[in-house]
Amino acid sequence: MNLETYKFAAESNQWWAIMPELMLGGLALALLVLEMILPKKDHRIIPVFSIIGQLAVLAGLIINYRTPFLGDETFSHLLKHTAEGQFMRVFFVVCSMLVTGLGILGLSRQTLPRVEFFHIVLVVTAAMMLLVQSNHFVMFFVSLETITVGFYILVSYIRSNPLSLEAGLKYLISGALSSAILLFGIVLLYGAAGKSQADSMQFGQLRAYLAGTPGDFVASIGVVFVLCGVAFKVGAVPFQIWIPDVYQGAPTPVTAFLAVASKAAGVSVLLLLVRGVFAPYSHIVLPVLVVMTAATILFGNVAALGQQNVKRLIGLSGISHAGYLMLGVIASLTIPAAVNAVYFYLFVYLLASFAVFGVMTHLAGTDDTDQQLDYYGDLAKENPLLAGVLAVGLGSLAGIPPLAGFIGKLFVFIAAYKAGLFWLLAIAIVGVVISIYYYFGWIKAAFFPVWQVPLAEGETDPRPPRKPVSRSLAVTLGALALASVALGFWQAPITEWLAALH
Amino acid sequence: MNVGLNEYILLSVLLFVIGFFGVLLRKNTLVIYMCLELMLIASTLALVAFSRFNGRMDGNVFVFFILTVAAAEVAVGLAIIVALFRKRLTVQVEELNSLKN
Repeated sequence: MNLETYKFAAESNQWWAIMPELMLGGLALALLVLEMILPKKDHRIIPVFSIIGQLAVLAGLIINYRTPFLGDETFSHLLKHTAEGQFMRVFFVVCSMLVTGLGILGLSRQTLPRVEFFHIVLVVTAAMMLLVQSNHFVMFFVSLETITVGFYILVSYIRSNPLSLEAGLKYLISGALSSAILLFGIVLLYGAAGKSQADSMQFGQLRAYLAGTPGDFVASIGVVFVLCGVAFKVGAVPFQIWIPDVYQGAPTPVTAFLAVASKAAGVSVLLLLVRGVFAPYSHIVLPVLVVMTAATILFGNVAALGQQNVKRLIGLSGISHAGYLMLGVIASLTIPAAVNAVYFYLFVYLLASFAVFGVMTHLAGTDDTDQQLDYYGDLAKENPLLAGVLAVGLGSLAGIPPLAGFIGKLFVFIAAYKAGLFWLLAIAIVGVVISIYYYFGWIKAAFFPVWQVPLAEGETDPRPPRKPVSRSLAVTLGALALASVALGFWQAPITEWLAALH
Repeated sequence: MNVGLNEYILLSVLLFVIGFFGVLLRKNTLVIYMCLELMLIASTLALVAFSRFNGRMDGNVFVFFILTVAAAEVAVGLAIIVALFRKRLTVQVEELNSLKN
């Protein structure tokens, strides 16, 4: 190490480039300080303050969307600022705002300290934003673990409920297992490339090594291990075993966060790795991904068929969405335009999922894990707004034209067709047909009366009482549903936004 | 006997495999947790060995990150296990199966 090296390291620390992440971190700390200095009766405003702060970060991100750091590697090559990274940053901030909003609603029924929840949501969001921009395996591992450890706490947040704790424990064991496998993969890659490269955990140098030695046995095992660790985050078969239990036991806002943000982070990282570092090893990556994708689409849809608990249902159907997204990832290896299809799909999935999760959070009772399909009976008669939003959200998830979900699937399927993945495409279309059955079962439960077993003497109705919808929830849900409808007819804003940076 | 890179990697892989099968087969949550730590330690050992034999320090630095992350994971994990034990009075995985359809 000479003076020049230190000078380069100091100059590459461009703090402005990670301002949004720093602001989210600062906001997270400010929430804890506010909790200490505000009197107890004013604690209600802390999450509102959090949402306002995130709105400011979001506005800053959109104004600086064409950041001057685009394409640069900062912090001694730890981070690389890409167009995809910019899109996902906006995506994650939108997610965390919606999760904070749902958190206010969902936690109001629990007697728990609340501020920590909003604090951890912000920390996890900042880590996700760093993860999708990482350019070095140390950065990658540390931000991934920040997300995972944050989620352990969030999943088991309702600690008065043993089911939430059980879900937390299951997520803990499976998450730590996948992290250990991922870490071992990173170590093997480091060991293989370390002989010839100066900084072999950096994506660019690792790629150069892999391109030079196409048949390295140790590196091949490393690549497969890293892919397995990422597949766990995405929830792809055979790493999906944790999903139904964890989704059911977690508080509903956290389920939404897991289903949308965590999955999107996984898919985005998969794109980053498969198209970047592991591109020279696509002869190993491709077969693994193809088998996983086919199994994921089929398993997710078939397992969701018999579910009565809506949280398990949406978890298992989310597995199949991971499958469609991975189909797009595979297509992107031959058709680069498929990347945009994947990001469009993710955005559409965010809108539709949060519409559905908003309705679920509102209808849940004090026991957050007990949300049966039957409890939705006659929703349309009592509350047409909620039922309408639910129908739009589920229809969009199912891919019914003219909703946005249909266009999202269409883009991915066209890309897969152009890439010549006919067998996977056939499996995906079978999967979509199966999914219509259970999504419409849910819509039907909301629009028609469900027959109930007559209550015996002294038995209470298990259905949680229905409460009126607050104005802020109505506006949010209405906006999400409208966006889902509007994007079905007019995709230009998002597609132009995606294409603007390429 | 001359201990080289291969011996270290062999030991590391062995530890990793013991940990992996321990997680899959053991029934007590605390033992499973120890096996998870064993897997992390196996990675650490391999990292240090690679770092030593490649003549670079970055692997040793990465070990500090891994240790910190593992400590955070243990802190959160043990808290969850203790909270669960208070509610259910068991940490055996076969008795923790109340989440179902």
